[in-house]
Amino acid sequence: GEAKAALPLAAGPEGGGPSLCRGGARSPRTSTELSAWVVKRQHRDPDTKEGSLQPEAVPVPAESPTDSSLHPAQLEMLKQFDLSWEYGPCTGITRLQRWERAESLGLSPPLVVRETLLEHEGDPSFMHCLWHDYPL
Amino acid sequence: MFSEQAARTAQGLLTPPSAEASTFARVPVSTYMNCSQHFRLGERSFNRQYAHIYATRLIQMRPLLLERARQKWGSGIAVRKLCELQTAEKCCIVGTLFKSMQLQPSILREISEEHNLLPQPSRTKYIHQSDELILEDELQRIKLEGAIDIQKLVTGTILALYGSEREDGRFVVDDHCFADLPQQLPRRGPSTDRFVLLVSGLGLGGGSGESFLGMQLLVDVVTGQLGAEGEQSCAAQISRVILAGNLLSQNTQNKDTINKAKYLTKKTQAASVEAVKMLDEILLQLSTSVPVDVMPGEFDPTNYTLPQQPLHHCMLPLAGAYSTLQLVTNPYQADIDGVRFLGTSGQNVNDIFKYSSMEDYLEILEWTLRVGHLSPTAPDTLGCYPFYKTDPFIFTDCPHVYFCGNAPSFRSKELTGVDGQQVLLVTIPDFSATQTACLINLRNLTCQPISFSGFSTDEDEGEMEISH
Repeated sequence: GEAKAALPLAAGPEGGGPSLCRGGARSPRTSTELSAWVVKRQHRDPDTKEGSLQPEAVPVPAESPTDSSLHPAQLEMLKQFDLSWEYGPCTGITRLQRWERAESLGLSPPLVVRETLLEHEGDPSFMHCLWHDYPL
Repeated sequence: MFSEQAARTAQGLLTPPSAEASTFARVPVSTYMNCSQHFRLGERSFNRQYAHIYATRLIQMRPLLLERARQKWGSGIAVRKLCELQTAEKCCIVGTLFKSMQLQPSILREISEEHNLLPQPSRTKYIHQSDELILEDELQRIKLEGAIDIQKLVTGTILALYGSEREDGRFVVDDHCFADLPQQLPRRGPSTDRFVLLVSGLGLGGGSGESFLGMQLLVDVVTGQLGAEGEQSCAAQISRVILAGNLLSQNTQNKDTINKAKYLTKKTQAASVEAVKMLDEILLQLSTSVPVDVMPGEFDPTNYTLPQQPLHHCMLPLAGAYSTLQLVTNPYQADIDGVRFLGTSGQNVNDIFKYSSMEDYLEILEWTLRVGHLSPTAPDTLGCYPFYKTDPFIFTDCPHVYFCGNAPSFRSKELTGVDGQQVLLVTIPDFSATQTACLINLRNLTCQPISFSGFSTDEDEGEMEISH
C-alpha cells in the first residue's frame, strides 16, 4: 500500500486517495523536507483547513545524527545545568566553557556535569546548550 | 624641577663650544613589564550576548562589595537578594545599576518610521531631570529612590545599597557604597630622578600645521637635540615615553568615501594613510633614542570596541625596526621601574562624562577607581568585546599612576586610599589643542606639565618657547 508518514503534526483525514505525488514516499527527515511535505499536504487537502491543526512551517532543529536518545537522563541533567541561573547565562558558549567559568568564579558547579561532558566530548547534543540551534 | 636642575648645571647656550662634545647616556631601563595580557584578544567571537559580561561583573564584584558594606554599616546587617526583599525591612542589596535616560540615543527610536522622527542631534550631555535609577541582580530589578545622586551615577556600576523596600515596590535608599580602591602592591621606585613622559592626542593628519612645530619641539627635547647641556642632561633622565591615543586626528576619519560608489573613490586615498606615514617618521625619531609605548585611541586605525588592540606593526615600517617601539593595547597596564602604570586613551572617561553630571575629567577618573571598574558604561554606551569568562576591566590591584588621555586640560591629584594606597591621578591633555605633555617623576610620584609653543610665521620671526 502507500506509505503514509506517521506525522504527529498533520491532522488531515486518513483514508484512501492517491498517494502523495512527491517522488518516493518516505517520511520527511530534514526540516526542509518537512516544510515541503507540510505545504504539499496542505495543498492536497484544502477542505481540512478549518477546524484542524494545520502546522506552520516552523524550522525544527534537525535530529542529531548520534545516538543521543541512549542517554536521556544525562541530557536531562545537562539541561537542568543550563537552566540553573546561579552559574550565569548559558547562551552562546558551550556547556564546558560555562562549567569552567563557574568553577573559576568560585560557584562550585557539580563535578558530575563536567565528567559527563568530557565523556561525550565532540557530541554536539552534549556540548552545546539548550538554545544552541535557535538564533541569537 | 625639571628646569631647576637645568639651571643649576651652568653652561648656557652662549658659551663657546667645548673641545669635546659631551654625551649624556639615557637612564637605562631597569625593569619593565607589560601587564596588559588580559586586554589582548585572541580569537574573537561575536556570537555572544552581553549578558555574560554583566553576569561575571556582578559575580566577581559582589564579594568585594559585601565586605565594604559590612565594614561601613556593621557586620550584622541583613544581606538580601532582590527576590528575598520584605517590605520595610532594613537590609543591604548588591546589584548592577541601570539608569533609564530619556535622552539616551536609541537606534530603535531613530529608525522608527511611524514616529517620523529626525535623528537626535548629538549633545555633550545626555542627562535629564526625569532619569531613573534601577538596580538589577541576577533575577529581578527594582527602582531606586532616596539618598542617592541619580544624575551622577551611570549604568553598569556595581554598588551596595542600604535601605528598605516600600509598599509601592520601590527601594528607598538610606546609604550606598562602592567597591573602593583595591589592594596595592608596594612601590619599589627608583632612588634617583627618573621621568616618564605622557603625551596624548597628537592629532596627525588634522590639517593644521601649528601643532607640528610643537610636536617637533617635543621630539627634540626628548631626544636631547634642544637646549644647552643642562636641558640635555635632564632629558637624559626621561626613561620612557607613552603616547596615550589619538595619534591621528578626527579629520582622518572622513567617512564620505564609504557611501560613494566605487568608481568615484578608486583613486582616492584614505586620509589616514598620509597621517600614518607622518606618525611613522615621528616614532622613528623617538624610538632611536627612547623606549616608546604607543596606545591606540578613538580615531586610530584599530578596532573600535574596548579593549583596543595594538596598532599593527606593518603600518610603521620605519619605526617598527627598533625594539624600543612597543605597540600596546588600550587600556594599558605596565610595571615601569617598579611603578605600576594603568591608563586609557580617554574613551571610558569621555563616555561617563556624557551620561553623568560630573564635569571634571579628574573627578570622573577618581570615581572610576572608587567604583572599582575602569569603564562601567561598557557595553551599554561604549563599545566593548563580549567577554564571557571574566570582566577584564575590574581593578584587581591598585595602580600607582592612573591616567587617561585626551582630556581637555592637564590635571593631577594624589589620592590616598583607606588602606593606605597612594595613587597619582593624571589627566593628559590633548596635545593638538593644548601643546602640553606631562612628566612623571618615578622617584616621588610627582607630576608636572611641559608645554611647547611656537608662534606662527605670519607673526614675528618665530620665537620658540618651552615652559615647564
